Amino acid sequence: MKTVLWVLTALLIAMSCSKREGNESINNPEISLEIPAEFPALNSSVAQNRPTIYGVELGEKLFHEKRFSGNNTISCASCHNPALAFSDGKQQAVGIYGRTGFRNTPAIQNMAFMKFYNWDGNILQLEKQPLVPIITHEEMNSSILEVIGKIAGDADYKKLFQKAFGDASITADRIYRSIAQYEYTLISANSKYDRVKRNEGDQFTAEEARGYATFKSKCASCHSTALFTDQSFRNVGFPLNPNAEEAGRGRVTGRPADQMAFRVPSLRNAMYTAPYGSFGQFPTLRSVLDYFDKGVLDAENLDPILKENGNRIPLTAQEKLDIIAFIETLSDPTFIGK
Amino acid sequence: MKKTTNYLILVAVSCVMIACSKNEHSPVANNISLHFNNTFKNNTIVLGGANSVDASSNISDSAQVHHLSELKYVVSNIRLVKADGTEVPYNVNDLDKGATVVNQAKPASLDYVLTNIPVGKYRQLKFGLGVKQEINTLDQVRFPAFYAAAGANDTDMMWQWATGYRFTKIEGFFGSENKAFQVHTGSTLNGEGGKPETYTQGVDAYRDITLDLTAAAVVGNNAPKITVKADFDKLLSGQTKVILTAKNAITPSLHSSMAAMEVFVNNIGGNGKENKSGMFSVERVEND
Repeated sequence: MKTVLWVLTALLIAMSCSKREGNESINNPEISLEIPAEFPALNSSVAQNRPTIYGVELGEKLFHEKRFSGNNTISCASCHNPALAFSDGKQQAVGIYGRTGFRNTPAIQNMAFMKFYNWDGNILQLEKQPLVPIITHEEMNSSILEVIGKIAGDADYKKLFQKAFGDASITADRIYRSIAQYEYTLISANSKYDRVKRNEGDQFTAEEARGYATFKSKCASCHSTALFTDQSFRNVGFPLNPNAEEAGRGRVTGRPADQMAFRVPSLRNAMYTAPYGSFGQFPTLRSVLDYFDKGVLDAENLDPILKENGNRIPLTAQEKLDIIAFIETLSDPTFIGK
Repeated sequence: MKKTTNYLILVAVSCVMIACSKNEHSPVANNISLHFNNTFKNNTIVLGGANSVDASSNISDSAQVHHLSELKYVVSNIRLVKADGTEVPYNVNDLDKGATVVNQAKPASLDYVLTNIPVGKYRQLKFGLGVKQEINTLDQVRFPAFYAAAGANDTDMMWQWATGYRFTKIEGFFGSENKAFQVHTGSTLNGEGGKPETYTQGVDAYRDITLDLTAAAVVGNNAPKITVKADFDKLLSGQTKVILTAKNAITPSLHSSMAAMEVFVNNIGGNGKENKSGMFSVERVEND
């Protein structure tokens, strides 16, 4: 009897050893993120969730997975369309059963460098975001256990989870981490602007150069850094969302100073991400500039820069054309797959 | 072999007998049941719609008439304090076994039975209004039962956008025109749960409630019943007197932000500093 036990134990040890060796044999190297010159530091969460070859492959597959939604019709990519710099072209996001959310779908780009996510910055770690649309009534109207249940029997997923995480078990945490890994790799830094900056032979046209100069004096206090956002939250007096739930960043922080303040959006790929504003108030870049020129809504916590300038950013018709020409140089066709 | 079997049966029977007799004479644990009595002053609240004639009507210190159509709150992190100061935690890290949604519209939800409480004399009841930050993550994998209960359509105690639970959901009507108001509270904190020094942004709407019992709850052969009163008169007439206006009647919202929410949270659950009871008190303790 004793001998049998010893043999069994030895066998078990041998098996567990060989299993471990098997896992090690899966080659799943980290992807080294190429950090473009001038870009800010990585979000500290990236270090805890380094993108790997198969983690990213899995994340991309999950990003396009319609079984995330209660009736299998909506994936992340339904609203975050890669061809529109991962936005959707709609004023407000449209989810399951045609239900409309109350904000404009934000583009997904250069997420690894962002400190805040969403219009109100309620999320600080990308890994914490995927659950939100899954369970939101107007988005996917499902639950994480429902999602896991639907994909659990899928052989392709089992293989990918195995490759990405060392064993085939499909967990909530692994779903969140792989999607974040995929999004960390979505870096856009190959626009005409970037090539001009890198002295790769491209030159701004006269119009673009004028636009850049005007941009630097009239827009870049907020749309600063290589991300074209200083990642601050500001009330810029845009038309108010009629939805009673909207309080801007005030909903997150509870500070009156943050009431109706929204994250300064990046302007990279802005040509692909119309309409503009937190609930798509503006159909075109021109309409945004016209609004700033005409004057914005007053508010106690209106951004000080606007207050100092009579609640407006005065712009001539020529300046508007020039600025738009400059913003066009921030388009990165390789990023959107064109 | 037959002899052995007989012996075994004998042993088994005596064990059962010993176990029974032990229970009858000196149990090691018993239940405590909590009953939540939601009132305006001393009268239990009757909910009702805008023009309800049955709904309990209340008048605030600022002379504002109001009544409620919905009244829900989450109770979790329950602890009982013995006469000698020992704290007995009740499934404080398990929402499935230690948390409940009190819903005035569902009479069964007004009673919550704490099982297997060690024998002893208890003098204090502590509980969390809401869910402590460490486990306020809408983690369906860890706590499927509470997730389902709180997320049910007729309960709706989740803030999906904040990946946290709603801690309170109070709705009703105010003034002569019966204008609607709603007070929803919940936390929007970011940081490592349980480590306030890591909280980078957001509002903490969780409140730890400490209530002295009116008499010792004696857990032994009997299972005591503790009636906790929540006096919703204090919603508008508590630590801070609130006058409902178009600006704060829907909280949180585009009009009021969360600044108004904190005022309501403090009136409901105390400010978490010197006021650790808010609108809650122990009405009575029944030991038999």
